[in-house]
Amino acid sequence: MKHHTLPVSPASVHWGYFSKKVTPALTLRSGDRATIETLTHHANDDYERMIADDPGAESVFHWTREHKAVVRRGAGPTEGPFIRGSGEGLGVHLLTGPVAIENAEPGDVLEVRILDVRPRPACHACHAGRCFGSNASANWGFHYHDLIEEPKPREVITIFELDTTGEPFAKAVYNYVWTPQTDPDGIVHATIDYPGVRVDHATIRKRENILSRVKVPARLHFGTMGLAPSESDFVSSIPPSYTGGNIDDWRIGKGARMYYPVAVSGAFFSVGDPHAAQGDSELGGTAIETSLTGDFEFVLHKKADLGGTVLEGLSHPMLENDSAWSVYGFTYPNYLAELGAGAQTEIANHSSLDRAMRDAFRKLRRFLMTVHRLSEDEAISLMSVGADFGVTQVVDANWGVHGTIRKNIFRCD
Amino acid sequence: MSFRPFTSESYSESDRLEAWRDVLSAVGLQPSAGSTVHTGHATASRRNAEGVVLARLAAGSQAVSPRPHPAGDMPIMLLPTEDGVTLRTSTGHQIISIGHLLLLPRKGDWSVSFQRDMRAIVLSVTSDAFGSRKVTGPVFDEVRVLAPTGFTEVFSRTLESAARNLEMLSDSEWAAVAQSLADLLPTFVRQLMPATDAGATATRAAILHRLCQTIERRLDDPDLTPARVADAEGISERYLQKLFEGSGSSFTHYVRERRLQRASAELSSPAEAHHSISEIAYRNGFNDSAHFSRAFRHRFGLSPREFRQQELERSSASSAVTGQRGWPQQALAQLRSHYPLAGAERSAEAAPADKTPCCAEGERLHHHLSVEAAHVHWGYFSRSMPPQIEINSGETITIETLTQHASDDPERMIKGDSGAESVFHWTREAKNVDRRGAGPMDASVYGRGAGEGFGVHICTGPVAVKDAQPGDVLEVRILDIVPRASRNPDFEGQVFGSSVAAWWGYHYNELLAEPNPREAVTIYEIFAGREGDHDETPHARALYSYRWEPQTDPFGVVHATYDYPGVPVRPGSVKRRHNVLDGIRIPLRPHFGVIAVAPREVDFVDSIPPSYFGGNLDNWRLGKGSTVYLPVSVPGALLSVGDPHATQGDGELGGTAIECSMTGTFQLILHKKADLAGRVFADLTYPLIETGTEWVLTGFSHPNYLAEFGAKGQSEVYATSSLDLAMKDAFRKMRRFLMNIKGLSEDEAIALMSAAVDFGVTQVVDGNWGVHAILSKRLFDSAPRS
Repeated sequence: MKHHTLPVSPASVHWGYFSKKVTPALTLRSGDRATIETLTHHANDDYERMIADDPGAESVFHWTREHKAVVRRGAGPTEGPFIRGSGEGLGVHLLTGPVAIENAEPGDVLEVRILDVRPRPACHACHAGRCFGSNASANWGFHYHDLIEEPKPREVITIFELDTTGEPFAKAVYNYVWTPQTDPDGIVHATIDYPGVRVDHATIRKRENILSRVKVPARLHFGTMGLAPSESDFVSSIPPSYTGGNIDDWRIGKGARMYYPVAVSGAFFSVGDPHAAQGDSELGGTAIETSLTGDFEFVLHKKADLGGTVLEGLSHPMLENDSAWSVYGFTYPNYLAELGAGAQTEIANHSSLDRAMRDAFRKLRRFLMTVHRLSEDEAISLMSVGADFGVTQVVDANWGVHGTIRKNIFRCD
Repeated sequence: MSFRPFTSESYSESDRLEAWRDVLSAVGLQPSAGSTVHTGHATASRRNAEGVVLARLAAGSQAVSPRPHPAGDMPIMLLPTEDGVTLRTSTGHQIISIGHLLLLPRKGDWSVSFQRDMRAIVLSVTSDAFGSRKVTGPVFDEVRVLAPTGFTEVFSRTLESAARNLEMLSDSEWAAVAQSLADLLPTFVRQLMPATDAGATATRAAILHRLCQTIERRLDDPDLTPARVADAEGISERYLQKLFEGSGSSFTHYVRERRLQRASAELSSPAEAHHSISEIAYRNGFNDSAHFSRAFRHRFGLSPREFRQQELERSSASSAVTGQRGWPQQALAQLRSHYPLAGAERSAEAAPADKTPCCAEGERLHHHLSVEAAHVHWGYFSRSMPPQIEINSGETITIETLTQHASDDPERMIKGDSGAESVFHWTREAKNVDRRGAGPMDASVYGRGAGEGFGVHICTGPVAVKDAQPGDVLEVRILDIVPRASRNPDFEGQVFGSSVAAWWGYHYNELLAEPNPREAVTIYEIFAGREGDHDETPHARALYSYRWEPQTDPFGVVHATYDYPGVPVRPGSVKRRHNVLDGIRIPLRPHFGVIAVAPREVDFVDSIPPSYFGGNLDNWRLGKGSTVYLPVSVPGALLSVGDPHATQGDGELGGTAIECSMTGTFQLILHKKADLAGRVFADLTYPLIETGTEWVLTGFSHPNYLAEFGAKGQSEVYATSSLDLAMKDAFRKMRRFLMNIKGLSEDEAIALMSAAVDFGVTQVVDGNWGVHAILSKRLFDSAPRS
């Protein structure tokens, strides 16, 4: 077993997409561990608290008229003229990786164990050692077309501080309404439509004393974690799918083991979109987006060895922790294959919990029948009385419902 | 998307009127001066296109008048859909019956009042709808009322079907519908004008109509020219052009529009799926498919391919549903016209003996309501049932409840239990509880039995709370829940439950194994656990299961599916399979699926769909130590409890939980309307659950389906359930709670919901599907204690 480290730098991140074409930032073997740094793509909502004087973050977010450290952001076009910028923000998450796994082949399953998760403290003198995050109630939020207060519509950024002195919790520092921001290339972003645009704090009005009585219990986790799909070379990081990605389940934190079907040789694992806390549904469009560092262990399960294990027949991401298994249902379980060429934009027109629930039901039934050897009648009775279905997210185009079954149901004399 | 849903659930009581004004003003209306607007439940669906607004309104009794409008525009069309209205003008007032169409000028002294509930479709078309086209509508300054015949009926039907499908229409479809409504209106209004100048107009209109028909027949001809059409009708080409100009169009524009419309209809029809897009283009007079694609995209915003794909998915998504629970729409319509509902009939006179206070705890009394035929109502809630007992606020009461699934294994769950035997007693001669469900007593809909099983839960009660009045809030604290052990000597002391994977389950239409479909019953034994023994946590284990086989009830009706509650399953009629769910034990979550106060809207309400009054909430968090707050709608509140569950998962996927008879002890606390301000349950319009650590808000597909759909409610709610709608409702309720109760701004509320509120699936099997939102009390720990 070897322990690797993968710090963030323009060379070790890719922004807004999964890709089987990106050169791996690290190659390791099954059984190895790695400490991987990740950055939130919302760090520029408050540059001073989340980027300034942090060499890793500075290097990734660097963007002036002359030089943009990470040019492509999203799976969209990289040839101008641009509406929003290179990659067109079709996918927004800063992902560290890819990590290639030796000997991984399509049909295998990669297990990723999260051993530890730590927040990344601020470096700027005024805030050194403290940890911050940003929550955007954004145009892709569930609420956006159903607001009741003026001005309608509007986007709002809330900056939180994460307190880890005791039981960790987040507390709001201030918020502001998004104003049009001009990026160094001169493109004006009237809404939050391209990641990593620095918010000029001279253009916004900060409102303090918000959520003053509220402490949000921390749930440190990675919103986006997964493998490169095989269907396209560049795949938007926003819709989660069969190789994982932007699942946005807060249970994907310390102690979780995620299983992903390998779709391309080397698996190509990437991780990012770190969150300090999120509720089931991620209603407003984002969590408390906070840069985090994780310790991971990678275990490759070869296709031939899957039979008779909990991974038998797995064709979708699955979570295991000490107490439960969760399967992830989506509006489209593999939207890339189902929706064809235009899938990456088309998926946003089809979002529905009803289809996601249907998918979660089917996946959990399959799991109970294949892995736990139940008959269909047994599986359905058990799901009715012992499985819990929850809303994972309603903001990532391919909406999610997770089905969870507790392990202690099976622990028996 | 141009679709705008509105529900009063989003707003605090003080803001509702203003929000409702906005809805009315979108269609050119406002509340009449001096009329009081009912600020209760209101919903509206509306959709806008350029200059066109179509809205479907459902709200309480009120009167509306025109909102002052500058130009002399097209009149507002209003179609009452459930009851008649009273029209008041300067010359007096008249009663307008349902189905008549009102043409209302945009100014002037008139008002339309809805005596009962407001239920109407309103169409507003302003000159923007016609863009640069000049539509010289005649000035229109008096109210017209049109009987539903001829063109009026055609127009009304079009309005109705468009309004009914507002949210279903894609943007392109809606654009087409809106445009055709806008185009119909001037014709309609013109036709109503006095006959003097009508002669010439009518001739022109007739010729134009014929021209259009000719064009329609020849749309496939790519060389269709004005000259050839004019020729065919024996008029000059110049006159033809003039006629089209007079109608606000041109020949070329009209032909292209018709071709595109027809192509879009063919693209969305599954029957045409085998034709290629270029074939369809060619059939509709487009020689060049690239040109067709461009024109199509320009018109509908999508390429023909994308459009076809979208339509295909829509149709496949909507064709999935087969059977539906509850009232069929048809039967409800008949019911409304022929069947004046009598007062609730009881199966037997109430026996007073064991409902009297049995002991005093301190100063407060404790009551006991045992279960027997006379103490239950089966499958429905009713505002007109006499209460079993009346108790004072603050008092406690123990209520015995039975699961309606006890008949799945009568040996274990009924036999020897005098209470259960009394409720389930059903022989050829006698059926102790005849009515089961809110359906007709003569079973004239399906013939299943009295009440038709439109509602299935055995509810104990109702319990009246002294002084309770509509507008108050009833706090129901669940102090204890104890399972009801078998009284059959063979199973003395053992506890059993049943779970049915039933035809109303979420899985039913897509079973994998044969026979397909099928219903399966699993009988569980419940182990309550021993105090202090950690290995023996309370759990359930499956005992055996069987497939449902047609059961003949004592009256001779055969139940091929599980369609009527309490039909005793004869042991010999089914094949028991043992060793099911081997090695699996399911932790218990004892709770009551049904806790309800009586709804105000109608006399007999199906017990299956939960709603604002509580009912079949099926949320396992309603267990011991929890509290549910219910808005009181009728005097005395009339609380009923039933549908006891030993455990259930979020979703209740197969249709039922582990249904197990249990006895609950409750404390009822009445909060008078005047004292609600500042309380957590102030402004409550839905069941609010409180546990030791959480607030659980209950969202439904249709938060108040009885008010929203009116007479059709008990059928419609089953047809239109969706998690997407329930999620919206849960979001709105949580936002309102955070803003009004916790004092947050909207921005704070949404940020907090993203970061810390958990939304989960309550159930997808009770007609009115549920999504709950959980707010941890821990978030507010730092709050200063007041």
